[in-house]
Amino acid sequence: MTLQEGIPGREYVVESMELPIETERRLEALGLIEGGSVFVLRKKRRGAMIVKIQGARFALGLGITKKILLQA
Amino acid sequence: MVVTMAHQLSIGFVGNPNCGKTTLFNAYTGANLKVANWPGVTVEKKEGRFQFHDQEYKLVDLPGTYSLTSYTMEEQVSRQYILSDDVDVIIDVADASSLERNLYLTLQLIELGKPVILALNMMDIVEKRGMEIDTHRLPEMLGIPVIPVSARRKTGLDILMHAAAHHKDQHEEMPLIHHHTQQTKHAHSHHKEFVMVYSDELEDKIDLVSEALKAAYPEIDNLRWHAIKLLENDREICEKYPLHRPDLLERSYEKDIINQKYAFIREVLQEVLVNKEQKAAITDKADQLFTHRFLGLPIFLVIMALVFFLTFTVGDWLKSYFELGLELFSSGVLSGLKSLQVPDMLISLLVDGIIAGVGGILTFLPNIFILFLALAFLEDSGYMARVAYVMDGIMGKLGLSGRSFIPMVLGFGCSVPAIMASRALENKRDRYKTMLITPFMSCSARLPIYVLFSGLFFEEYAMLAAFSMYVLGMLVAILCAFLMHLIDRKKTQENALLIELPEYKAPSAHTIFIYVWEKVKDYLTKAGTTIFFASIIMWFLLNFGPSGFSGEMSDTFGSLLGKALVPFFTPIGLGFWQIAVALIAGISAKEVVVSSCAVLFGISNITSDAGMAAMAASLTGIGFSALNAYALMTFSLLYVPCAATLATIKKETGSWGWTGLCALFQICVAWVVTFLIYHIGLLLF
Repeated sequence: MTLQEGIPGREYVVESMELPIETERRLEALGLIEGGSVFVLRKKRRGAMIVKIQGARFALGLGITKKILLQA
Repeated sequence: MVVTMAHQLSIGFVGNPNCGKTTLFNAYTGANLKVANWPGVTVEKKEGRFQFHDQEYKLVDLPGTYSLTSYTMEEQVSRQYILSDDVDVIIDVADASSLERNLYLTLQLIELGKPVILALNMMDIVEKRGMEIDTHRLPEMLGIPVIPVSARRKTGLDILMHAAAHHKDQHEEMPLIHHHTQQTKHAHSHHKEFVMVYSDELEDKIDLVSEALKAAYPEIDNLRWHAIKLLENDREICEKYPLHRPDLLERSYEKDIINQKYAFIREVLQEVLVNKEQKAAITDKADQLFTHRFLGLPIFLVIMALVFFLTFTVGDWLKSYFELGLELFSSGVLSGLKSLQVPDMLISLLVDGIIAGVGGILTFLPNIFILFLALAFLEDSGYMARVAYVMDGIMGKLGLSGRSFIPMVLGFGCSVPAIMASRALENKRDRYKTMLITPFMSCSARLPIYVLFSGLFFEEYAMLAAFSMYVLGMLVAILCAFLMHLIDRKKTQENALLIELPEYKAPSAHTIFIYVWEKVKDYLTKAGTTIFFASIIMWFLLNFGPSGFSGEMSDTFGSLLGKALVPFFTPIGLGFWQIAVALIAGISAKEVVVSSCAVLFGISNITSDAGMAAMAASLTGIGFSALNAYALMTFSLLYVPCAATLATIKKETGSWGWTGLCALFQICVAWVVTFLIYHIGLLLF
């Protein structure tokens, strides 16, 4: 499943990311890395979501969340 | 201890976005740089100086950055500065209430090998949340001084500077004390030397790469850092110090390096963080409302409507007192000058030119004040970043990310900082598009135009007419973005919104005071400079003609210029030479449209009842009706942004061609929209 399909209130572990290298590096610097965990706080039906990574909240766009695969 | 040294000490403030670097910088230097509670407020580095214990300090406030692997403009600015020799000591400002994230940058800074001091900011918030940070254990584990401060309450500031002065020449490392349970098989006991020790596999790699680097580039002084960067496959370092050793650098170890840094941070936190916070309940509750999937957008619109409602009602109420003062002043000056037998021409320059132009603008100060007060509240509370999330869906349909909406909201205040804020957008196409549409957001300088003309022609619907301008500006901006999205072939396919949402906080009175005061000061400065000179030039143009000083306005340079432009303005309902002149003058600053009208129609107190009546009579005399007034408001909203905005666009894009294109685009849009409104209006009424 992708992060986009994540359910608010649950924590997931990132399996892999298929993003442009710049975006991937930026996310990695924030602590969103393969094997790292991400907590879904809120989401819109088809759109941006709010997640918690390493203790801080981030709003992530659909283009990013669709490309992040989670461990089942 | 008093440190005396010949040269000044340069200190760089580095830290994550929104961790309070600028607040700290302001506290030391007495500067009034803008701070707010959303990431990316500071977009360029700022310098300041101050004296402390006979030592001169140069402080540099850098844009916030999450890491030193830089991919955005603000991160590049920070990294270049830190790597340069200009900096003696780095003060790493960390938001103590979000230590996990902030320490990641700290570890990178430590690896860089420059003297680093960790300033634990926002300790007051940490305490309020019932958390405790062991400030004795933390420096033991990091090997650098750790100073708790509160930039807002100005505590710990002297100790921090003292530590900076002291730490500058300290070359031997502070003792590092770690209690690892895991037994390492590694030959070296790295923890004696380094804070951040990686797995045995990585450490072996680092040693080998360091040796290879030393052989190839003996001039490198921090081998370990360069070795790590090569293993991370860092673009800049790989180009600068290529090492053709595929046997060593067979893959990028970046992920391992990041993972192990975060693992180490967790180990540190486990030891130093006592009473880990119970979830920040207030922020989560507030977000349930403000970022609600259905209610989020209506709430945003209601908040903005409230902002403008307050601006117009409370502002107008205060404005009436300003008008009274101006009236007394103007008539006092007039009778005073008359009794002193001052020549008529000079009286005319002073009363009809300067007092009418500048004074007319000053009466709008209360409206401007209220508007910026409201915006300061939105920015400092932490709501601004949520706007990016709420608007992301709509902006996505326009091919922009929700983050583009922050510059647009700031545009309600002033286009200049709004255009500068677009720098935080990573994508260059997004940045240019945002710069193109931001000037359509109705800035505070256009407010006097609406207040004056809607007050003249729309009586009880005046506020509605003025408010409609804000909606119109926003609609035009959105429509333009949409059209650009349709024709843009190389569109960015994906909506890559990425923004940190800070915790909500009660806005700080001091921050808001600085923010509003700076804006009020700008406004007064503008009244005293641009508008002052524009009024004098207008007065000259309207009183002198080819035949010299002329009592008859229709023989003057101004009217000749205006009459030449009438054909351009006639199709949009603005074919009056006076209006054409006022609009041209308005390019210097949009308020000048109003001050010019005051000079044009010889009204010394344009916003007073008597002044308005005289103005209305003059306008009706030349056949200017309510529809013409609405056309004028529309055109003023959309046409060429003011000179200061154009200069900012030039600065941000570095291209006169692009700036010219922007101006031309905006004139075209303004003309077309005004044309439509005027002709639809003619059909309806």
